[in-house]
Amino acid sequence: MEKYIEILKSCGADAWEIQDTKTRGWEFYFIGHRLDQNRAKDVEHINLKVYKLSEDGQSLGIASAEVSPTDNEETIRKTAENLVYQASLVKNKPYQLNQPEEAKLQEAEIKPLAMEAESFIKTMLGIEETGTEYLNSFEIFVNQNEQRLITSEGIDITQSYPTSMLDLVVNARKEEHEIELYRLYHLGSCEPEQIKRDVEELLQFGKDRLLAVSTPQLEHTPVLLSTDAALSVYEYFLSNLDAAYLLRGMSSYEIGKPIAEDIQGDRITIRSARTLPGSPCNFAYDEEGAVIRDEVLMEESVPKKFVGSRKFSQYLGLEDSFMVSNWCVSGGRKSADELRTGKFLEIVEFSDFQVDSMTGDIFGEIRLAYYHDGEGNVTPVSGGSVSGSMLDNIAHLQMSGETRRYANAEIPSVTRLENVVIAG
Amino acid sequence: MKAPFSNYLDSLVPGLRKLIEILEQDFDYVSVLSTDSKGLAVRISQHSKSVGNQTMTTERGTVVRVYKDGLYSEYAMDRFDPEDPEGAAEQIRKTLAAQIEVLKNTDAAVFETEKLSDEPLELLVEKETGQLPEEAELSSLVEQLAAISDKGMSMSEYMLDCIANAQSTHICKLFLTKNRFLRQSYVYSEGNVAAILGRDGQNRFGYAGIAGLEGPEMFEKLSEKLDYAVSSGLEMLDADRIVPGEYEIITTPEVSGLIAHEAFGHGVEMDMFVKGRALGAEYIDKRVGSDLVTMHEGALCAENVASYVFDDEGTLAGDVTEIDKGILKTGICDALSALRLGTQPTGNGKRENFEHKVYTRMTNTIFDSGKDSLEDMIASVKYGYLLEGMQSGMEDPKHWGIQCILQMGREIKDGKLTGRVVSPVIMTGYVPDLLGNITMASTGREVFGNGGCGKGHKEWVKVSDGGPYLKTVGRLG
Repeated sequence: MEKYIEILKSCGADAWEIQDTKTRGWEFYFIGHRLDQNRAKDVEHINLKVYKLSEDGQSLGIASAEVSPTDNEETIRKTAENLVYQASLVKNKPYQLNQPEEAKLQEAEIKPLAMEAESFIKTMLGIEETGTEYLNSFEIFVNQNEQRLITSEGIDITQSYPTSMLDLVVNARKEEHEIELYRLYHLGSCEPEQIKRDVEELLQFGKDRLLAVSTPQLEHTPVLLSTDAALSVYEYFLSNLDAAYLLRGMSSYEIGKPIAEDIQGDRITIRSARTLPGSPCNFAYDEEGAVIRDEVLMEESVPKKFVGSRKFSQYLGLEDSFMVSNWCVSGGRKSADELRTGKFLEIVEFSDFQVDSMTGDIFGEIRLAYYHDGEGNVTPVSGGSVSGSMLDNIAHLQMSGETRRYANAEIPSVTRLENVVIAG
Repeated sequence: MKAPFSNYLDSLVPGLRKLIEILEQDFDYVSVLSTDSKGLAVRISQHSKSVGNQTMTTERGTVVRVYKDGLYSEYAMDRFDPEDPEGAAEQIRKTLAAQIEVLKNTDAAVFETEKLSDEPLELLVEKETGQLPEEAELSSLVEQLAAISDKGMSMSEYMLDCIANAQSTHICKLFLTKNRFLRQSYVYSEGNVAAILGRDGQNRFGYAGIAGLEGPEMFEKLSEKLDYAVSSGLEMLDADRIVPGEYEIITTPEVSGLIAHEAFGHGVEMDMFVKGRALGAEYIDKRVGSDLVTMHEGALCAENVASYVFDDEGTLAGDVTEIDKGILKTGICDALSALRLGTQPTGNGKRENFEHKVYTRMTNTIFDSGKDSLEDMIASVKYGYLLEGMQSGMEDPKHWGIQCILQMGREIKDGKLTGRVVSPVIMTGYVPDLLGNITMASTGREVFGNGGCGKGHKEWVKVSDGGPYLKTVGRLG
């Protein structure tokens, strides 16, 4: 690392950053219960960023490059000098970089890769299957990561953490008819009980999808989301609290002003959390070296604090800003069961559910939903799509009091949208 | 000029040959893929301007594949020292042995596979390019993109930002076994203009891009895309919501390409056949579309961002006719899946980068053109939409469901465009119905390479797709 620091100090840059990320990872790919392939990796990504002020101090140039750990000193020096030249070509409004700040956080336990991998494999091979609902294939990724950030401003922080990922396909079969369901889980370490619960729920969805009939033309029937698809709904709000969205005029949120008029549904409270049990993103600092804080970003649908990258935060004059790693949305006034009343469509599987964070457009093809006709009858349905706009849903959004965690977010376990269109 | 092959990779060859020789003492098959791909990326908007050398496909590293007792294993590293192949071999052996120990502890069985063949072949291909990204003069490119962004802002009072992006990558890959020594070098580039507009709390964005097997000189054409990006964004601001239902539709070449990609791109990736995840396996030699549907897949069937010479397993690139006049003929296949299925690989074994596993992946996926004029196609529509602008797509190969999110639909009534626009549009349906209802296809075709493709929700690779205008029936919402 010293050679990079020495080169950047002498290359003519006004400021610089080095981000060095080392990853050791093991991967296991299964088809059914049989190992398709095993893989390992040992890699390092070194990114250099330089800042160059114009002669009159009115603009700041930024250029970055990844260098290879196999590059020699001459190549690194040439890269750094080239970056200074490239930075001089682009003119950004100047801003102050992050300054060193002490922040302590209990680092996550990093278990040996072999122990972590074994735990995942045993968990997956121990899943209870039936003759008609079973694992088609799964992929296990376990990583040990070490990330160091050094800057010309005096920041020198190292964060070590485990990450893991589980890519899963399950099948359900009825005579010659077979369907599949797909999930991609992001975790810190292996959580056997949580994984078992999620996979068992998925197997049940698979069983029900076999019984599904075509989605009827339900048009304005309320929609309930009770899986990770609902994350997109809340990410829309989070994006609108981001400094980049505000600066570009893509967000009209104002501190202290409700995000919608005449809110009849639940009011939304979102907070940033430094730690969330089981999250793969429990960090003390963001990737630019800003201290991550426990903060209320929106309270009862009123923005309290905007956050984002250093550049856009500085442009907006935001103090103590940072990029959010973990986030939580508080539960609403009713229980999940209370939200499941009347006529509604509870969608548990989409091809790809999206809420466009910039436009607020809602899209998704329905792979499995449960249609409740309001008279006690429940029918699994499949096909068709849901569409709409968040702009038409904010004032009527309802959330369960119960919450559920997905990777680095905790959100209400059930979300109810009143104003969407269901095309059967 | 020819895009020169990496001196760095050439310098590794003796060490890698030695590494293979050492590992062959313990394993029955050994191959190495080493990469050294450099790039440039310039992004200019009204609020942020940056220059960098990283694109989606820049990388430098080595992945070693070994085979023993029916099992393939891989080790990826980025610090291979050609002076110390023994050290690398020891690390690989030790790590893979530790993984096998874990498998023993868990009683995991192996999906046994035959040994790959190792037919002798030596190849060096350096494709033509105008410029290299690592040598491009950035000053004029930055000015050009800044001018696009500034001009875009002046085109409408509703413009919030105008972003101009340019990326170019010089791909260099080396594939080595005991008998194969393959090297390729080529440059591809892609650029786009995104116009972000807002009015009365409603945001929309218009988008247009260029891509091709060219160097950074290609970006001179990017300014031609600005008018469409801004005007389409403005049209979307004024657009209505579509009334959900089934309509006669005409797809622009870009949307036709998205259908090709989602419908019979993913649906016939044959690693999915191995897992029993694709309905396509049961439909070989059966009808899946109308007589007007002929579809090709392969790195050789177009010159675009995914047009390589050999894939990441050292299989030479191909051109596969997947659908011939509506009949599904074959799928695409990586080398290991081919062994398992008893067929031949098609040159579609791709990795996100050297750190990632090979899967069967698409390259260029394209519908053949037809004989109709666009005017005749529009004139034939009683009531429907001309669909344009691709946002995203998703498929369900097990069920042949398809989801395409599109920017807009232009209303057609009694054979004429009415000027009314609906936006956004989600098209869903059953693939054989969508393709089976194709009744007209235009002359000519276009290929688009601005997109990326994932497997599930990860493993992103560059692909291109395209086709002619197609007339069919689709469910829109």
